[in-house]
Amino acid sequence: MRIDARHLLDRLGKNDFAYKEFEDRFTELELWPILEALLRDPRLQAIDQVETAAPEPVVSETVETHAPEPLSALFSRYGRGPAAPTDVAAERRGAQAQDVRAMLRHLSDLGSRGEI
Amino acid sequence: MAVIVCHGLKGGAGITFVAAHLAMTLSEAGAEVTVLSVAQRDTLPLHFGLQPALTLPSLFAPAEDAVLASGINLRSHTRATDDADFVPTLHDLGYLEAGPDRVMVIDVPASEFAFARRIIPHSSANLCVLNAAPDTLALLPQVLGDASAETIARTTFAINALDETRRLSRHSAAFIRELVGPRLIGRIRLDEAVPEAIAMLQPLARYAPSSAALADVRAIGAAMVPALETPGRPWVARGDLAAPSSSRAA
Repeated sequence: MRIDARHLLDRLGKNDFAYKEFEDRFTELELWPILEALLRDPRLQAIDQVETAAPEPVVSETVETHAPEPLSALFSRYGRGPAAPTDVAAERRGAQAQDVRAMLRHLSDLGSRGEI
Repeated sequence: MAVIVCHGLKGGAGITFVAAHLAMTLSEAGAEVTVLSVAQRDTLPLHFGLQPALTLPSLFAPAEDAVLASGINLRSHTRATDDADFVPTLHDLGYLEAGPDRVMVIDVPASEFAFARRIIPHSSANLCVLNAAPDTLALLPQVLGDASAETIARTTFAINALDETRRLSRHSAAFIRELVGPRLIGRIRLDEAVPEAIAMLQPLARYAPSSAALADVRAIGAAMVPALETPGRPWVARGDLAAPSSSRAA
């Protein structure tokens, strides 16, 4: 670390810079095509269809702790997404008939809270 | 003895960095830690501030040949990936038996994904190190498609070298977070102090005690502890992660 940065941090009483104040206008962005392509890949559903091993590790404080959302819910946001993988997944998906912009809105919320 | 497997999807993710600092965190918490590298080309000693010319002793080398860094036993077994008897060997050496506060961290290169899959079922915990980058994300379907449900269920994830000033990095991290949910146990911010410490031949904790990456990787180490505990018995009896004891002399 440069000495001037060290002095600035000392004056601020901090150990490091955090970039939590960076905000994105997610609602004005389109989903990156690679993310869209990945969301359409049925193999990603594998991670959504297994239960978390117990005992579950504690999530460190630096990570967002929102309730996990089934990946199938992300698929559901595409009107022409793949067929529902299982009845169980369909139940978990519930009534959330959203499109990809719902995911962007969620990301925008996270951004506005400085969590991403 | 708890066995923790550190692995990843793609080379350069920082698996060895995370494995080394996971070992340091658990050692500071009071555990007796061994780090086993199975890589043919090994950078593990650099994260402990050791000389690049150092060759780690074999897993089977006698105690007098041991390399200890901050009290952590560094070992190598380059033939482990081809050794069909590797797991029985660990068992014979006592590494899979219950024992107080003993941990082996196995550093598995991303290219040895088949080996990682083979030993994860025998581990107490495993940590997959990811970068929030599109080429890493692109490998996720292939890896998840190949892995068993049991392996996926036992896998925790950490994002390494996250540059939160970059839009694509933040979006990629958000995607990973959405995908793996609570299995994501932490993220480590991109920090120039990490390569600088290697260049200075110093452990990161000595070179840059206030390093953001150091604080993050320590938090990940602390988050791994519950996976190592057994019901009715705290895993770490001698230390406290919130107030780590001083490292043992190298």
